[in-house]
Amino acid sequence: MSDTLVESTAESAFLDLHKKLLEQGTSSFSELQQLSLQRFEMLGFPHSKHEMYTYLNTKELVESAFTISCRSEKVSEDFVVSHIYPGCENHCLVFVDGILNYDLSRLKGVSANLTPIAEAVSVDKELKKHLTETADNENDVFAALSAAFCGEGLVFKLADKEKISEPVQVLFVSTGGNHAMYTPRLVWQLGKLSELKVIAKFVGVEGGYFVNGIQDWLLAEGAGVSFTQVQADNFDSWHFSKTRVQLKKNSRFHSSNASFGTQLTRHHYDVRLQEEGAELKLNGVSVLDGREQVHNFIRIHHEAPQCVSHQYFKNVINDHARSSFDGTVIVAEGAQLTSSDQLINNLMLSNEGHADNKPNLMIFADDVKCTHGATIGQIDEEQWFYLQTRGLSARTAKELLTRSFAKSIIETIEFPEVVKDLNGTLLKKLEIHNV
Amino acid sequence: MLEIKDLYAGFDGTEIIKGISLSVKKGEIHAVMGPNGSGKSTLAKILSGHPAYEAMSGEILFDGKNLLDMDAEERSLAGIFMGFQYPVEVPGVNNAEFLRMAHNARRIKAGEEEIDPLDFDDLLSEKMNTLGMEKKYKERNLNDGFSGGEKKKNEILQMAILEPQLSILDETDSGLDIDALRVVSEGVNKLRNENNALILITHYQRLLDYINPDFVHVLSGGKIVKSGDKSLALELESQGYDWVTTVN
Repeated sequence: MSDTLVESTAESAFLDLHKKLLEQGTSSFSELQQLSLQRFEMLGFPHSKHEMYTYLNTKELVESAFTISCRSEKVSEDFVVSHIYPGCENHCLVFVDGILNYDLSRLKGVSANLTPIAEAVSVDKELKKHLTETADNENDVFAALSAAFCGEGLVFKLADKEKISEPVQVLFVSTGGNHAMYTPRLVWQLGKLSELKVIAKFVGVEGGYFVNGIQDWLLAEGAGVSFTQVQADNFDSWHFSKTRVQLKKNSRFHSSNASFGTQLTRHHYDVRLQEEGAELKLNGVSVLDGREQVHNFIRIHHEAPQCVSHQYFKNVINDHARSSFDGTVIVAEGAQLTSSDQLINNLMLSNEGHADNKPNLMIFADDVKCTHGATIGQIDEEQWFYLQTRGLSARTAKELLTRSFAKSIIETIEFPEVVKDLNGTLLKKLEIHNV
Repeated sequence: MLEIKDLYAGFDGTEIIKGISLSVKKGEIHAVMGPNGSGKSTLAKILSGHPAYEAMSGEILFDGKNLLDMDAEERSLAGIFMGFQYPVEVPGVNNAEFLRMAHNARRIKAGEEEIDPLDFDDLLSEKMNTLGMEKKYKERNLNDGFSGGEKKKNEILQMAILEPQLSILDETDSGLDIDALRVVSEGVNKLRNENNALILITHYQRLLDYINPDFVHVLSGGKIVKSGDKSLALELESQGYDWVTTVN
């Protein structure tokens, strides 16, 4: 997989930038950064036939000369407030240009949960070991790049049995306008039987930026997480995310992702169900128009018996938009009684749109129940006609059917305010662009 | 109200209806019966404006206007309702929300304001009570996961909300058990009045035990081969369609 060792101009530019940053300090975290940089050098930017990047063209991205900012630009409080969901006012972490902004954040009752990664790894040897191994084994060059440049990553830790009932919102604001790469990083560490609900939203003030973030989720036995992500960046930006999830016995991770798309958005999930009884739910929806793109790259590793995983993704593709889904479920030898399903539905609204699907199963156990499926289709003519026979115009009927297609994922989100937001913004795209 | 004049129509270039003429006036109920493949459903599809079906010649006038020039939406807004043999499932579209949209489309056409959601809820409850329907029909998605009988009941609920001048019910009795047939028939009877009309397309006579037609037409080979009153349906039931096709 790591087959590009020739250093391009773009890679050299990043390496030079990194040297400058390292001169500024040598904490424990810098060791991790150093490791990540080595992985970045080894992996190199992908060529067009790279297995992990089959369906997307990163040429323009890697040829862009990005700057790295060690501090965040100013952003108005009004802008931030407009993106905080009702009910999250007291628990919101606001990252500006990849760095937590304490002035704009509201950490009532959760400040004790937060520690900079550098500090956390200096006292938590297990965490350090985990993050070191992760950095050492990273196979996604953009995640390695992100980790190499991540300035102030944070650990959000929940003690055993600690439960935060109100959702915690994380707002990632990218100020943009300066061709910068932002590398927010969060490690969510959940103790035994702890519970957490998180809403993450990505927005931009101006476009032209590359937000390249990483989130690690480490769930101990019996822990439960509900995680909703809204990718609402400016169109003329790039959005890459890597989400790593590690699930111990009887823990559960329920995740929904709603994407507006950018000129290139890529979500990479790597989930390991490591002990029996772990449960994963991974849903995603995107509504794409113009030349927007959203690509999902997913690897689910069933490493223990009696684990469950569900994946359900839907894309609405209009105009020249593109989406892809490359998802593999790997059931290890001994992971008996695994139950796994994966379904991807694409609704094409134009002849120029493009959707690629690569659902895949690799099963090394003999007593499992695994299904996968993918569809690419257009508006159902009979449904469309049926609605028109009830007096709805052809356009209204089509819009209603398109909304209903996307709503089946949106309505699985457990936060009503996020559902309301998406109904008013993500689905509004369908009206604005005359579906 | 409806005048079908020497209609030839079909599907994908194949002529299925071969010269039908039929006149339906306000307050009348017409039953169109016939064996499989006689053209009953093609007639229903042509009347509803299905884009895959085409009229080769002849004309259809609805209140003096050329129906064949109207698309499905216009026909609905003009007051025609099509009750489908196989109502499609539309997951993700809430039944009550859809009914309100359809009701509002008609109000907008009539130059009226859209109905307040709460007022519509009252209207819907009232219609559902009249039809003896359970509240669950409001909350569920349009025909999604409905049984055959539930789908047909839901068609009649739509008919009640839209208050059409002319309803065409295509094989409404198919797939219904006796209880569901009774509920659906009672619903249809309650919606009858002197200003609307009904065309019942059916294969069996049993629906006519519940809904009393003024006229019965027998379709065979794409033509109306016999017309009469309700007694014709009883005769068909006892002698079979061969009787009519042989006689003619």
